[in-house]
Amino acid sequence: MRISIRNVTKQFDRFPALGGVSLEIGSGELVALLGPSGSGKTTLLRSIAGLEHPSSGQILFDGEDVSNLSVGQRRIGFAFQSYALFRHMTVLSNVSFGLKVRPRKTRPSRAEIRARALELLDLVQLGGLEGRFPSQLSGGQRQRVALARALAIEPRVLLLDEPFGALDAKVRKELRRWLRQLHDRLGLTTIFVTHDQEEALELADRVVVMNKGEIEQAGTPVEVYDDPATAFVSEFLGTVNTFQTTLNDGIAEVLGTEFPVADADPGEGPQRRHGPAIAYVRTHEIELLSRERAEGIPAIVRAVFPFGGAIRVELAVEGYDMPIQVEVPRAFFEAGEVQVNSGLFIRATNARVFPQYN
Amino acid sequence: MASLFSRAPIGQRSAVNEGALTRIALVLTAVVFLALFLIMPLVLVFVEAFRQGAGAYLEALKEPDALSAMRLTVTVAIIAVPLNVVFGLAASWAIAKFEFRGKNLLISLIDLPFSISPVISGLVWVLLFGSHSVLSPWLQAHDIQILFALPGLVLATMFVTFPFVARELIPLMQEQGTTDEEASLSLGASGLQTFWHVTLPNVRWALVYGVLLCTARAIGEFGAVSVVSGHIRGKTNTLPLHVEILYNEYSFVGAFAVASVLALLALVTLGIKAVLEWRYGNQLASGHRH
Repeated sequence: MRISIRNVTKQFDRFPALGGVSLEIGSGELVALLGPSGSGKTTLLRSIAGLEHPSSGQILFDGEDVSNLSVGQRRIGFAFQSYALFRHMTVLSNVSFGLKVRPRKTRPSRAEIRARALELLDLVQLGGLEGRFPSQLSGGQRQRVALARALAIEPRVLLLDEPFGALDAKVRKELRRWLRQLHDRLGLTTIFVTHDQEEALELADRVVVMNKGEIEQAGTPVEVYDDPATAFVSEFLGTVNTFQTTLNDGIAEVLGTEFPVADADPGEGPQRRHGPAIAYVRTHEIELLSRERAEGIPAIVRAVFPFGGAIRVELAVEGYDMPIQVEVPRAFFEAGEVQVNSGLFIRATNARVFPQYN
Repeated sequence: MASLFSRAPIGQRSAVNEGALTRIALVLTAVVFLALFLIMPLVLVFVEAFRQGAGAYLEALKEPDALSAMRLTVTVAIIAVPLNVVFGLAASWAIAKFEFRGKNLLISLIDLPFSISPVISGLVWVLLFGSHSVLSPWLQAHDIQILFALPGLVLATMFVTFPFVARELIPLMQEQGTTDEEASLSLGASGLQTFWHVTLPNVRWALVYGVLLCTARAIGEFGAVSVVSGHIRGKTNTLPLHVEILYNEYSFVGAFAVASVLALLALVTLGIKAVLEWRYGNQLASGHRH
């Protein structure tokens, strides 16, 4: 199902949670709403669900305005961050709840409800646990029960609020992969909220980066990662070094190399070409050069974290207060050039430069 | 007891553990205090009740005025408790699940009966419905008797027992939040279905606990009921009032026999309460407070 969000705003007591958000979500898409806490991502998700009613704007499901429909009428599947399983009901009763509460005319028979619930439990790989109570399940199992319960009502869209938020790192990754497979199998339009960029980038077809109640950028994971549209997105995605610099006719110098200012957002008018600017350089966008070549900027190694395929190095450079974070291939580290307190040269290979307003 | 007297080496003692002597002193103080102020009076009630043998005891209970007092007490409780359950559920539902102005005022108002003297709780009804009140002519014209009759007793009892259910439910409902209800609504359940299948089961043991405390108080209430009762024997005397009358008439066996019934009811309540706390303590609001 297609979802259109048109100019939705939401005020909580005078504090704006959403300031005019518009977004189109295609049928069968898996979309991540990514942002820091307070960015309005959960409010947007709850507005789509009908758990929150926007102050203004419209929400359309397949072209039909659902803004005035209650959450129960919208036929959405919602999975809560805390799972919100009914603690006094067994897993089976939880999953069949949505079918049992239907009015008599549309309610399937008892046997059908049971069969459907068991089928869903198989789908979420919890077959055999239907007699358990939520308190007897692990976090990952509870989340899957919550998903099965949401799927039981044959929702038109699946909405997940921080679906893996309360799980430990290993279970998170497993469940993430499993959710992607489930989505590909069911083809259900799915929107999930997360503050974890890795989760959003790995799982979603499209990532919507939100900040202060507005959408900063919406695009495929590669688009938002490689071409951040705004300073916020540049800083939020990946591990970045931030440099204060100055624009001179649209060009800024970062670690001895010159970079052009980023393309302006088409809606914002001409970009400023002179004055203070801020540059973002990812940790893998800085090259370490050996002493013999004597290019780039001199730096001193302050710390080395030799774990994994890429080695993280912290460097001190004269004129910069913050240590500069760099990732180098393991081979470079093993060549023996990178040692604490040794001198090196560094050079930025890429940078995103944004004029600094205010 | 061995562990009580053994002195743990300094290195192994936890910071909040006291020495053996302090512990013995504390435990002894508590035990002596309990024996003096709780167990002894309770035992005395039964000793006095059976002073002239079981026959006299049963005779005192079978006396028509005593039976009438028991019936009245049960009637009052049967009316007052369900009404307070409905009120308590409605109030805690409103307070825990919705945001509105004057919420704190409502919470304070619910606690009001706890903080004022039971005599006042009775007197308000006398002032409202008594012969010098504004309502009095209308009540007389329609031949409605509130004071010195069952309605007055029920009103006074309700006023006094009003906070028990709400106080038990509000903290628990607040802690549980609204996500379970949201989940239920998102699955297509109606408001009533959500209340019946989700909200109520989530608080059921706290509700039972609240009802129990409310009932115990409704049966035992003396002060407020005394003001509105009029003490008409066999008509408007509840059990606690009947005990007082018998005692003032020097009918000690009668007074203590009736008192023993109240004491037994209290013990049964205590028993059920202990079982609830032991079995469902994690689902009770008071379990979280202690």
